Amino acid sequence: MNAPAWPVSRAQDLLEEMPSGVMVMDRGFHIVDHNRAFVDVYGPNVGRPCYQVYKDRGTPCPDCPAQQTFDDGRPRVLEETGLDRNGQTIHYLARVVPLRDEAGEITHVAAITTDLTATKRLQREYQTLFEKVPCYVAVLNRDRRVIKANEMFRRTFGEPRGDFCYKLFKGRRTECEDCPADKTFQDGRSHTSRHVGQARDGTETHYVVSTAPLLQGDGETTHVVEMALDITELTSLEAKLHQAHIFRQALVENALEAIVVIDESQRVLLMNKAAEKLWGADRETLIGQKAPRAMVPATLRRQRASTGATVLLPDTTITNLAGESIPVQLAGMTIFNEGSYLGGAIIALDLRAMKDLEREKLTAERLAAVGQTVAGLAHGIKNVLMGLEGGMYAFQSGMSKGDDERMLQGWQMLEENINRITTFVKEFLEFARGRTPTVRLVDPNKVAANVVDLFKDKAEMAGIRLAFEPQAEVPPAFMDEEGIHACLVNLVSNALDACETSDKPDPVVTVRTHDHGGSLVLEVADTGTGIDYEIRKKVFTTFFSTKGSGKGTGLGLLTTRKIVQQHGGKVAFESTAGSGSVFRLEFPHDRLPRPRETEGEVADESTGDEDATA
Amino acid sequence: MPRPEDKTILVVDDEPNVRDYLKMILVDAGFEVVTAGDGEEALERIRERRPDFISLDLIMPRKSGHKLLFELKRDRDLSRIPVLIVTAHANDEMGQKDLEEIMDSAVMSGPGTYLEKPVNPESYVRAISRAVDVEPSAQKTPRTDLKEQLEHSIEGASPDALREALAALRKAKSKGRQ
Repeated sequence: MNAPAWPVSRAQDLLEEMPSGVMVMDRGFHIVDHNRAFVDVYGPNVGRPCYQVYKDRGTPCPDCPAQQTFDDGRPRVLEETGLDRNGQTIHYLARVVPLRDEAGEITHVAAITTDLTATKRLQREYQTLFEKVPCYVAVLNRDRRVIKANEMFRRTFGEPRGDFCYKLFKGRRTECEDCPADKTFQDGRSHTSRHVGQARDGTETHYVVSTAPLLQGDGETTHVVEMALDITELTSLEAKLHQAHIFRQALVENALEAIVVIDESQRVLLMNKAAEKLWGADRETLIGQKAPRAMVPATLRRQRASTGATVLLPDTTITNLAGESIPVQLAGMTIFNEGSYLGGAIIALDLRAMKDLEREKLTAERLAAVGQTVAGLAHGIKNVLMGLEGGMYAFQSGMSKGDDERMLQGWQMLEENINRITTFVKEFLEFARGRTPTVRLVDPNKVAANVVDLFKDKAEMAGIRLAFEPQAEVPPAFMDEEGIHACLVNLVSNALDACETSDKPDPVVTVRTHDHGGSLVLEVADTGTGIDYEIRKKVFTTFFSTKGSGKGTGLGLLTTRKIVQQHGGKVAFESTAGSGSVFRLEFPHDRLPRPRETEGEVADESTGDEDATA
Repeated sequence: MPRPEDKTILVVDDEPNVRDYLKMILVDAGFEVVTAGDGEEALERIRERRPDFISLDLIMPRKSGHKLLFELKRDRDLSRIPVLIVTAHANDEMGQKDLEEIMDSAVMSGPGTYLEKPVNPESYVRAISRAVDVEPSAQKTPRTDLKEQLEHSIEGASPDALREALAALRKAKSKGRQ
């Protein structure tokens, strides 16, 4: 029955091997014995006083726990800070136990020490982590009272002071319905949920809360730690993003342009109302399907892997899914995100209404010109009539006075005015002639050069320098060559006359061509008389001529304007009396006429495989 | 009463035919006549010798009649010379505005009126004689009755009436063929 005796020697071995330092001292605090663990920390110290070993003191500590145990015979546990054998500060837990002799007298005390330095450091680290972690951390007891909270929590929600969690987070008086801490208390597991709280300054705070159980030794959850991540900023960004998305959606949906977005495999992702109308297709059936070939410009079909490309066709024609040909302004672009191809967008603006308006405007302009012509007719006749009457008067009065010279003068006046009326009628008929312009691709520089050639001799004879300054890269344009030629002839002829009327030295007439801002410009500048302000207002009015001396019928500029208008262009001029004039024929390329027979070809640009690059 | 020979008339017009015609009419009426082809030249003539009357065209190169008038206005003495405007553009957008401006701003002394081309020689001489206070010479100017009538007809012609006339002519022509 009796257990075999435990040999004392083995007990001594065990003491020697214990992980805690053990030392025994006498009433004079001198160390009488110690084990290996003690030596590991403090070194071999038998015979030295304890206060010297532990704390490097010369006298006993003022409130020596060993002395207290000698006095009252009770063991005690204390946390101490001392120095190890290398002089480093160490934290240790000491248990002081009285040792009695056979008579029951306390002769010695034993101190069993456990090194706490590593544990202390860890504790500090965790404390720092707890305090500084950038989320709200709180420890709750079963009553949901916050017994500990970290710095960020305290800053936002205030000192806990034993308040309820729901009071601190939300200013509530009762527990939240979906309390994650409650669940953790029940099942001992972590739970996460999203909450809206109120910071102590009253602002709304959004956070995601995670709970974790703090377990006691017996596995029961006595406390729960709550960690809440502030997502207020994220939430407001989210809300803004959502709003922006709604705005953008409304913009896209109600845009006047027809917008189609395709993904990288050319499936339709998005189509707005205008796109439905323009392409004559129901978006419900198209979205998610591969975009019809007619819808995707060649550039977008080809541009899959290369960098972003856009194509802009300001004036082209598409054939929609219902087979209608529609003039549009078309833009296509590929969409990339950080180098990866996402798809493309096709944006088309229906130009039908605009084209109609433009046509109406052109017609109105033309009608106005005709109206002015008709109004001016009577006045043109008046001038000639007066000349004829003058001739008649001179002839008759010369005859009745027997004044031969006067008769001759009258005859000449009659002749001159008959000539004038002939030219006049001819030019008027020319102006009124409904000639159909022949539109071809014409090199504007060549036309201008021909006109300059035509006037070279005449200018030289009049002592006027005729300069030609063509811009080298003026592209060919669709024009009625004969009409443009006539316009330039008129302008150059006017410019030469203006120089001849002026008495300034070294007169120059300059013919220039250039192309910029989408317009072809032909201009004729002179250093002649310039046009007086009052007359400037009237330069285009029919039969208005200030050339005097029977020159000019006043139809030149009007004819020029008519031809330029037929090309969708306008005549602009700048003039300063005394220092010359510049007349400028401006032709926006997108208003130039298109030759009838090639219209189809041109229209194919948008969907053709060759020309759809910008 | 002063005689026409004592009065110098400046005729300003850029049309040589008109200039010569008006000069002839005035010379036949006994006046002394100077001419100018535009406003600039007119100023030179006026400075050389102050005329008693100016017959002025409005729209001319270099310097218009409108401009000349406003320049004359700045000179106390020259602004008193009576002026008669002779224009072909009294009722169209080219001249109407300038003319109205001239009439409204009273820059012009003299008859304060204008004649529209083509002018009737008799009313032209009459207007000038009255303005410079002379008895017009008794010399008879050649009659241009038919032309005057024609003129009136042109002024009074309505497009509808013309169209009717044209239709009647066409009708007559087609009848003639039948």
